[in-house]
Amino acid sequence: MAESEEEVDVLVQRVVKDITNAFKRNPNIDEIGVIPCPEARYNRSPIVLLENKLGVESWCVKFLLPYVHNKLLLYRQRKHWLEREALADITCTLLLLNPDFTTAWNVRKELLQCGVLNPEKDLYLGQLALTKFPKSPETWIHRRWVLQQILRQSSVAGRSKKPQQSEADAERSQQLSEHLARTLHQEMKVCSDAACRYPSNYNAWSHRIWVLQHMAHGNVKVFHDELSSMRLWVSMHVSDHSGFHYRQFLLKELITEVSQTPASTSSPQQRCSTAPSSSSPPHHSHSQANGELSEAEAAAEEEWQLSVNTVLQLLHQEMELCSDLIQSFPGHETLWSHRRHVFYLWHHWRRDQQQLCSTNQESSSPVLGSNGGPGPHTLNAQSSAGGGGSVNGQGCAAEAMEVDRASLPDPRDSKRLKTGVLLPSPPALPSEPSFVSGVLDGCCNPEQRRFALAYKKWLDTVISQQP
Amino acid sequence: MGTQVKDVIIKPDAPSSLLLDKHADYIAAYGSKKDDYEYTLSEYLRMSGIYWGLTVMDLMAELPRMNRQEIIDFIKACQHECGGLSASIGHDPHLLYTLSAVQILCLYDSVDALDVDKVVEYIKGLQQEDGSFAGDKWGEIDTRFSFCAVATLALLGKMDKINVDKAVEFILSCMNFDGGFGCRPGSESHAGQIYCCAGFLSLTGQLHQVNADLLGWWLCERQLPSGGLNGRPEKLPDVCYSWWVLASLKIIGRIHWIDKAKLRSFILACQDEETGGFADRPGDMVDPFHTLFGIAGLSLLGDEQIKPVNPVLCMPEDVLQRVRLQPDILS
Repeated sequence: MAESEEEVDVLVQRVVKDITNAFKRNPNIDEIGVIPCPEARYNRSPIVLLENKLGVESWCVKFLLPYVHNKLLLYRQRKHWLEREALADITCTLLLLNPDFTTAWNVRKELLQCGVLNPEKDLYLGQLALTKFPKSPETWIHRRWVLQQILRQSSVAGRSKKPQQSEADAERSQQLSEHLARTLHQEMKVCSDAACRYPSNYNAWSHRIWVLQHMAHGNVKVFHDELSSMRLWVSMHVSDHSGFHYRQFLLKELITEVSQTPASTSSPQQRCSTAPSSSSPPHHSHSQANGELSEAEAAAEEEWQLSVNTVLQLLHQEMELCSDLIQSFPGHETLWSHRRHVFYLWHHWRRDQQQLCSTNQESSSPVLGSNGGPGPHTLNAQSSAGGGGSVNGQGCAAEAMEVDRASLPDPRDSKRLKTGVLLPSPPALPSEPSFVSGVLDGCCNPEQRRFALAYKKWLDTVISQQP
Repeated sequence: MGTQVKDVIIKPDAPSSLLLDKHADYIAAYGSKKDDYEYTLSEYLRMSGIYWGLTVMDLMAELPRMNRQEIIDFIKACQHECGGLSASIGHDPHLLYTLSAVQILCLYDSVDALDVDKVVEYIKGLQQEDGSFAGDKWGEIDTRFSFCAVATLALLGKMDKINVDKAVEFILSCMNFDGGFGCRPGSESHAGQIYCCAGFLSLTGQLHQVNADLLGWWLCERQLPSGGLNGRPEKLPDVCYSWWVLASLKIIGRIHWIDKAKLRSFILACQDEETGGFADRPGDMVDPFHTLFGIAGLSLLGDEQIKPVNPVLCMPEDVLQRVRLQPDILS
């Protein structure tokens, strides 16, 4: 095809307009793509809108892309003027075809700053680009910038509240937080979509982590919801190391958040929301010289017990999930790598608990509890002057949720709140090698063997060498 | 049914000797196809593309075949008022392309073509309170950008212009339980990010902060039965990851932990006997990016037909001697 320059000019301008109109006609377009079609067949637009899918016939891309590309660069060099609307249309076309063109996103950032575009529209454009280019680093980078703008706007709006909040103010702040919650939810969906389109999608998963760090910091409920909603996903994507890393991130954050209880480092936020008398000053349990526990201390103690149980339950369930998957899907490096991480988290949490308890000398109340989750088990976490805290997973004796016998207090010294609690089982470390030998027994998958042996070696060297 | 290992099978007729002449011809011809549609598509990273092409030519002692003056003029035209450099004319400045431009000018011993003070000001201005670096004025944070910042400053001999202690602190906050590093605190370990962080710690004299045995272990687990290396568990082997993993192992003094002969045959199998150049995997399309990392990898493995490459900056050692830069390497 030997089109003249003018012909190309007319053609491309028409196509850019067709794309803009397609979005106007259907604001619910949810996927873009190139339709393989080497030549223009009919005298019709190469832009095809079918239900919610927008397609571009491939023959026109080689005219379209260089044209919008050059147009934008001439504008950037101040050699050619473009109206704001034209800039918005051109960058839209350009980014749907070549989403890593950083400068085009930057032009849109400027348009956003002067109010020509709105943040939601740009998040939507990025979402469409990701349907065809799920890894595109620049698209993810732009999303983070837009989200930061949204966060900044809402924090400005939140700060401008007067001390005496009127009903209208309250309503507005309610709307703001609902808006942020919707944005967060939508962002998780975009990440899931991109993760399904490309396995171990580093950019999608690290973006998801960023979103939680910036939009849900300290929000235990969101983290819990993420953990449970990801359970099925990872079970269906057992090779997706990034998906499993995301679970590791969630677990680590949850353990940190949950462990910040009044008995340890007293997180004011949690204390106020759960302690019976939030107006009384925080007490550390060991500040009580002797005698009865005050009401606040009893509550703090109970909360600490609850947090220990929550962490144990999280780790126990994760180890169980991991064991199930390793047995159901042999030979996946990702699953063995996940096991290392979960075990590591457990190992370190337990060590921290022991250190914490040995500094809280006076605190000697035994902690008992049970969880209502699948496979309920009674937990017994003790702390006394004689040794560190200990936990005992009853009914899951083969699991790793136990501590070294060496670190246990003398059982005769410890008080119990409830009877029927088993004495602590043998140390944790040996239960992992028994898991490994269980896997190796009759294992005919060479990869599974290799990963199991590497895991054992990792336990023997990396974990044993740690304090 | 056994598990299908994510790896490639190297065919018996795959290339097994180094085709240096073909690669030089491939790179020399690459830049002449400027009207190509693909060329437009990749313009947003042109400066790095030129760095890949020129560095691999220099490693093969073929640099004189490239148009030195044209390239220096192009780089000059890419320096912006703020001091930073863009990927190409009309694009916006970024740390990624600022580093590539300075690397190219070091190859040509012509750093003075730039306003160096302004480059330094640009980089300094991108450092954040927590020590991290934004890639450009829009504020994206990534450990890659920390590497770009210190690598550029090290080449310019201006490392003292930034807060190095804070910068180190940020990198260490991205270290994971497996000894690796990700793009930000809490992110998954990734061979490309590990290369940047190991290189960063080398340039700032902080390699003792790395748990070399633990990190070396993770890096060695990237080697697959084909001999190629991947960048994360259960990903396919790739020539560029082979470089990033290999260079990281070299920096932390653990290169002898992998099977070098097998890696060499994997890299050689990624050559295209007809067109020249290297692809990510045997049989795929070649490009300058994988061609550089294929050649650089073979150099680290000790191939004497290629100039020795520096594992931290991916530049010929003789160039670094000229600018008197010897980044630390653990023994």
